[in-house]
Amino acid sequence: MMKPIKDFINRLNGTTNLDETLIVKKSNRYFFLNTNLKKLIQRNFFYAGTYLGKIKNGKFFPSFRLLKILAETEANRIIVDKRTEWLFVCGRDVFKRGMVKVLGSLKKDDYTLILNKHGECLGFGRLVRDIGDKNGGVVVQNISDIGDFLRRER
Amino acid sequence: MFGKKFFVNRYEEFGWRFEETKPRQAIRINMINGKEADTVKRLQSLGIKLEKVPFLKSGYWVNKARFSIGATTEYLLGLYSIQEAAAQIPATLFTKLKNKTVLDACAAPGGKTIQLADLMRNTGAIIALDIKRQRLAALMNHLERCHVSNVIVYHLDARLASQLNMKFDGILLDVPCSGNFATDKVWFKRRTLEDIEKNAGIQREMLAEATKILKDDGEIVYSTCSLEPEEDELNIDWATETLNLEIEKIDCRGEKGLVRVFERKLDNAIENCRRIWPSETQGFFVCKLKKRVNR
Repeated sequence: MMKPIKDFINRLNGTTNLDETLIVKKSNRYFFLNTNLKKLIQRNFFYAGTYLGKIKNGKFFPSFRLLKILAETEANRIIVDKRTEWLFVCGRDVFKRGMVKVLGSLKKDDYTLILNKHGECLGFGRLVRDIGDKNGGVVVQNISDIGDFLRRER
Repeated sequence: MFGKKFFVNRYEEFGWRFEETKPRQAIRINMINGKEADTVKRLQSLGIKLEKVPFLKSGYWVNKARFSIGATTEYLLGLYSIQEAAAQIPATLFTKLKNKTVLDACAAPGGKTIQLADLMRNTGAIIALDIKRQRLAALMNHLERCHVSNVIVYHLDARLASQLNMKFDGILLDVPCSGNFATDKVWFKRRTLEDIEKNAGIQREMLAEATKILKDDGEIVYSTCSLEPEEDELNIDWATETLNLEIEKIDCRGEKGLVRVFERKLDNAIENCRRIWPSETQGFFVCKLKKRVNR
């Protein structure tokens, strides 16, 4: 059950100590429960505890809650400036000039979390070039950002 | 029976002079996701003018914003929720919430569920129900956005809640109701007395079901955004007579519940309910019920 989640975490060079016995799957969605919820939950639930993400077309799509958990670990992280924060939340990619700090080993094709100056996770993306690359242009391609909460409501 | 004149005459009979009102926009700071002062400061730095709502612990009026307050990074990070001020009252009326098992019987779209989780600091468990599946998507989004982790959601009619075979310390019955003119421009054209009586019947079924699954020392908070006594005082009077419930005193904004309705004298304890006529807030009714202890 954990494999898709573990594979995703590995691509971020992250770690997690989520207790696998507390993870439940409902259709294509994964949820993490606490021991209290685990005792109470019934088979026909719709949503429970902490939503971790879903599988769609064989691919794992993490929830923003899982990204927040990973942002508190040693996963790849890039802190961006205020302007880039808003652009990223609007679905845009990250340019080198908007990056304030890079944490972790970041090579082309790695996944990285994008954080604002408060250390809050805004989403994640894929590096389209090595961090050390001297050329300008896009460094992180936006894969998912919290602006999605608004886009889902349309 | 329907129409603006019919309803306005009723309100005047209950002692309230009708006036057109528009509720002020309000937000509630989510304490589980940040310190209140920090969130307020961040919003003010964006040019949003906030004013503390005097009768709420973590509610603020939005006096001025140059953009939608539902489209800030802070909102998307779950630091606050957009929640009408009167609607922030019911969840605060439970005596103790931490580590309790609470039912939110008509939960979607989730404003009060998030507030309960916030007051519980994500401890204990909230069982959230809603009959409309498409509304559950909005509830799920809010739970994820606000980092809530103590809720189990079921697609279930509150009138069938005993199917869960659980007992609850607290039950929030924010029942589906006829609403009020302050939040619905065409309310007077849309609503008839027949609608109201139909809703009142459904609400009684929900009260009866909630009583079955309430622990002996548990609390029910009942609320509506209806100004019609059929859905408010008359239902509570019925519940005290029929379901062996008693009304607890509450300390919150609002006038005393009506004890005389259409020439009928109700239980004096109905005064302990609170009726909020529209002004800065929408119209609202709220009360707290407990099982009557036979002494």
